[in-house]
Amino acid sequence: MVPKIMKQGRWAPWLYLLPALIIMTVFIVYPTIGTIRLSFMNADSTKSAAETCTAGQACWGVFENYHYALTNPDMLLALRNNALWLLLMVPGTIVGGLFFALLADRVPYENVAKAIIFLPTAISFIGAGVIWRFVYAIQSGGGAQIGVLNAIIVGFGGQPVTFLSDPTINNFSLMIVGVWLWAGFCMTILSAAIKNVSAEILEAARVDGANEWQVFVKILFPAISSSIIVVTTTLAIIILKIFDVVFVMTDGNYGTEVIANRMFKLIVTNVGQSTAIAVVLIALTIPIMIFNIRRFRSEEAAR
Amino acid sequence: MNTKYVKLFGLFVVAAMLLAACGQAATTAAPTMAATTEAPMAATTEAPMATTAAPTTAPAAAIDCTGVTSGDTLNVVYQWSGDEETSFDTIIKPFVDACGVKVNGQSTRDASVLDTMVKSTPPDILFWPDLSPLKLYTAKLLPLDTVGADVSNYPSYWLDMGTVDGKLLALAVKADVKSIVWYSPTQFQALGYTVPTTFADLQTLVDKMAADGNVPWSMGFNSGGSADGWTGSDFIQDILLATQGPDYVNSIIAGKTPYNDAGVLAAYQIYQKWATDAKYTVGGADGTINTNFNDAILKVFSNPPQALMVKQSGFAGGTITTQYPDLKYGTDFDFFEFPGAQGLQGGADFMMAFSDKPAAKALIAYLTSKTGGENWAAQNFSLSPNTAANGHYTDPQEVKLGDMLANTTGFTFDIGDALGAPFNQAEWTGIISVVQGKDIATTLSTVADAQKQSIK
Repeated sequence: MVPKIMKQGRWAPWLYLLPALIIMTVFIVYPTIGTIRLSFMNADSTKSAAETCTAGQACWGVFENYHYALTNPDMLLALRNNALWLLLMVPGTIVGGLFFALLADRVPYENVAKAIIFLPTAISFIGAGVIWRFVYAIQSGGGAQIGVLNAIIVGFGGQPVTFLSDPTINNFSLMIVGVWLWAGFCMTILSAAIKNVSAEILEAARVDGANEWQVFVKILFPAISSSIIVVTTTLAIIILKIFDVVFVMTDGNYGTEVIANRMFKLIVTNVGQSTAIAVVLIALTIPIMIFNIRRFRSEEAAR
Repeated sequence: MNTKYVKLFGLFVVAAMLLAACGQAATTAAPTMAATTEAPMAATTEAPMATTAAPTTAPAAAIDCTGVTSGDTLNVVYQWSGDEETSFDTIIKPFVDACGVKVNGQSTRDASVLDTMVKSTPPDILFWPDLSPLKLYTAKLLPLDTVGADVSNYPSYWLDMGTVDGKLLALAVKADVKSIVWYSPTQFQALGYTVPTTFADLQTLVDKMAADGNVPWSMGFNSGGSADGWTGSDFIQDILLATQGPDYVNSIIAGKTPYNDAGVLAAYQIYQKWATDAKYTVGGADGTINTNFNDAILKVFSNPPQALMVKQSGFAGGTITTQYPDLKYGTDFDFFEFPGAQGLQGGADFMMAFSDKPAAKALIAYLTSKTGGENWAAQNFSLSPNTAANGHYTDPQEVKLGDMLANTTGFTFDIGDALGAPFNQAEWTGIISVVQGKDIATTLSTVADAQKQSIK
């Protein structure tokens, strides 16, 4: 018979959970509810958002701030840019990380190679933004180019490029910074996954006559697909909230605005609109999180 | 064991390489780095500091200490710190010595600290670089002319600026002038150009320089992201002061003239022409947008110079001498008032009173007196709007700026600083868009919307 002291009452689990629950309530649940409430109010949270409607223009009533968040040209630009970040930077980072993981797996001094790739991950977004501002720097008129990229371009006889202010390329310039920062993180996780694939299976495939590409596509890739999904969802959440790189490098000027930077700019001048943008951002993140949790559960169940 | 050492060594090599790379970047990029961290507000309020501290010899008899008991204390709040605070202390020293008052100065830049203070124990006298306290503490502030201020020493436009409902609640004690253009007299002489005195002269000169194949302007917007474009807003406001005058600018600040008015549009057209064409500015539109504002100053004084003029506030003198210590003021670099400006653009620190105790009255009386103005000028602590100040500056740059201030007919705040967000951000973004080739009329209507929001 189990001694009485080992028996747990119905309330015991709750007791253990209590500290976490209190912290989550105070710092997550309560602020979220507050944010949602503020998003239905005007610029200084004194009246309902419905009263901020301009006469003679389309009005969404109490959802007026969402009207702004979803239709204002600045916001449409930000939403488009966030979609671009998501569609280009996530695959870019994963392909880069996978590439490095596969290569590092085959070189001597693997750890040194990996350490170099991983180093940028240790740099903050702000630091990376400052570093890359110098990389992209351009000197107009005479004078030497101090930005390394333009120095190279001019060294080969080209014309200096305005990486950060030219609207056709500046979003990509910023995404490269993101890839540079996160490729190391992807590489570490994917490299661990690759090492977990048992060598026998790969050997067997090679003995059966599969070439390296077939080994990768048919065996390695399916074996590490769950890790790839983890990395993808993690990155997707991080990138939806992208802020620091844009804030430091262009502050959303020249057509590089993103959702989080818009929210930050408005928090002082228009709390209603700013919190509405925050809610939109939460709403965009939730599906990814639900997907993540579902997949996690099904994996647990399969075990 | 062995591999572990190899790994460790590898890590060291990487670390060393990284350190070396960082070290190099830091040394070559130092000037730009310092520049990017400098906020435009700090830059504009920072005036060339006094180089020579002239002894202040004020006859004690000129200082009125009526009702003050020796040992009285006076609580004063201002934003000045370091050298600025020392300058202020030197300026009030004759008053302190004459009346035996102990002045407790507190330096804070934080409006919320001030707010807490005003709501519990307000300072006796407040010096603040904008007029926001007038709106916030209208009921608590005392009309200065009832607490000792001698308003006869101030031009009317300064009095109008601090008057609310007929009561003079704030009076400027310190002013900085932004409406100036820096150039190299040596270059001007060598190329046969003369300093323009009217706006039409300036336009002719700019076109002549461009026709000669010399680039007239150096412009730079880059200010580290969040405030990119502010140098453009200074320039456009000076054009407005020349083409429309100070009353027009003040009516924009008051919201009576919309920002997309025809006068503003015309100023933007002149500016767009100059800021986007490589004939008129270094590197054309790309140069204007991507150049740091401090680098833009230096391009005029590099060897060989890349442009002939740069429009920038007084702090440019410091930027020039830091980078090129051999250059001499007056021959290698100098400045002239923005040609044809009918009023000046700049910043000012205002004095406001929360208390009418004798010591407070005596300090206000001293600072607004002729002696006070003269002593302020003698410290070269920027400029004093007091009419007695001119003629008493000792720093050559302040002497020139003091003359400008004494001879002008109006003074306007930077529109963006006066209206704050969201207008200032919309204005900067608008200017960037215009330089990038967007239609001026559409851009200005967006900025005008922000103007309405800021005034509400």
